[in-house]
Amino acid sequence: MNPDGIRTQAPQPSWNTRVNNSVASLAAPQGDAELMLRVRGGDQASFGLLLERHRGSVIRFLDRMVQSQAVAEELAQEVFLRVYKSRGTYEPAAKFTTWLFRIATHLGLNWIRDGRNEKGQESLDETTAEGTIKQVPDRVRTVEQELVYQAKLREVRQAIESLPAKQRAAVLMHKYEEMEYSEIANVLRCSESAVKSLLFRAYEHLRSRLAHLA
Amino acid sequence: MSCPVDDREGAERIVSYGAGRLAPDEETEFELHRRGCARCRELAAAQRAIWSTLDEWPDVTPSESFDEILYQRIAAIEQRAWWRRLLPDAGWWRPAVPVAVACAALVAAFLLKGPDLNLQSPVAAEPKLQIEQVEHALDDMEMLKQLSIDSQPNHPSGQN
Repeated sequence: MNPDGIRTQAPQPSWNTRVNNSVASLAAPQGDAELMLRVRGGDQASFGLLLERHRGSVIRFLDRMVQSQAVAEELAQEVFLRVYKSRGTYEPAAKFTTWLFRIATHLGLNWIRDGRNEKGQESLDETTAEGTIKQVPDRVRTVEQELVYQAKLREVRQAIESLPAKQRAAVLMHKYEEMEYSEIANVLRCSESAVKSLLFRAYEHLRSRLAHLA
Repeated sequence: MSCPVDDREGAERIVSYGAGRLAPDEETEFELHRRGCARCRELAAAQRAIWSTLDEWPDVTPSESFDEILYQRIAAIEQRAWWRRLLPDAGWWRPAVPVAVACAALVAAFLLKGPDLNLQSPVAAEPKLQIEQVEHALDDMEMLKQLSIDSQPNHPSGQN
């Protein structure tokens, strides 16, 4: 199992086998930019390592952005495909995660803008594409506590969804990805003061909307 | 310090304080201010509360097949025809392909079915024919003239 809790794939005589075998052979931890430069040079194992490092955060960010795991994974596939396709022109001018989240945010915002989010709110016990049940936090709750928790969670999700798309992206990067203002500014291609303003307004909205839960 | 509530530029301090991300000296300064400012106390408490409320949203676990699907898609890209791989993916060149094919077909048709440049055009050949005809005509006239001389009877004075 990797850090994201994904089981290792069964060996197959394909691209992923070559990547998985080579990932294991990569020794010392390396920077993302260095790995990406290796990918540019044709090193598939480095791409596998980058995927392992950032798959979870990209999917989590997109899941909160579009509020659907299936769509989030579809968009995350596109993010990593774009990274792979752009390997030839990659220059480590900006931080790798900034570039990665810029692609993810762009795809997420486009998806929201195109109005493809006309879906019912997923319930927590909804089955995923794999047919497995989504896990709720592993605290043991009584039935009553579970109901209260789910109601609270639904309100949090709805409050986040009610934010304008750019504010939503900024809050998700700030709160869940623990990004600095400067990095969020780079991802959203705006000034740092604009990010501070976005976040202040977003949290103001969330405070008023979720005050009764606090 | 000025009150962050009044100071728009400093408003992010409350957000950062709620997130526990203020630098130690900034946090000490804000704590001192907060003790004497009811508005900041209220706002900071509300921000901390919202911060922990947002923690209730659990992280999703990526599906097991995510990597496999991605690698299959990458393998499909890798297997594309070599000539497509040489061209950029942006696709700006794609509309030019039918135009280029049409141009190539026109050039080929012109080369195969076009006029043979080695042959002389009828206009150029015409003067040569006329000269030959005139020569033939002159020869014919000369021959007829010769025949008419030969066929004439001898002069009577010659009979003497």
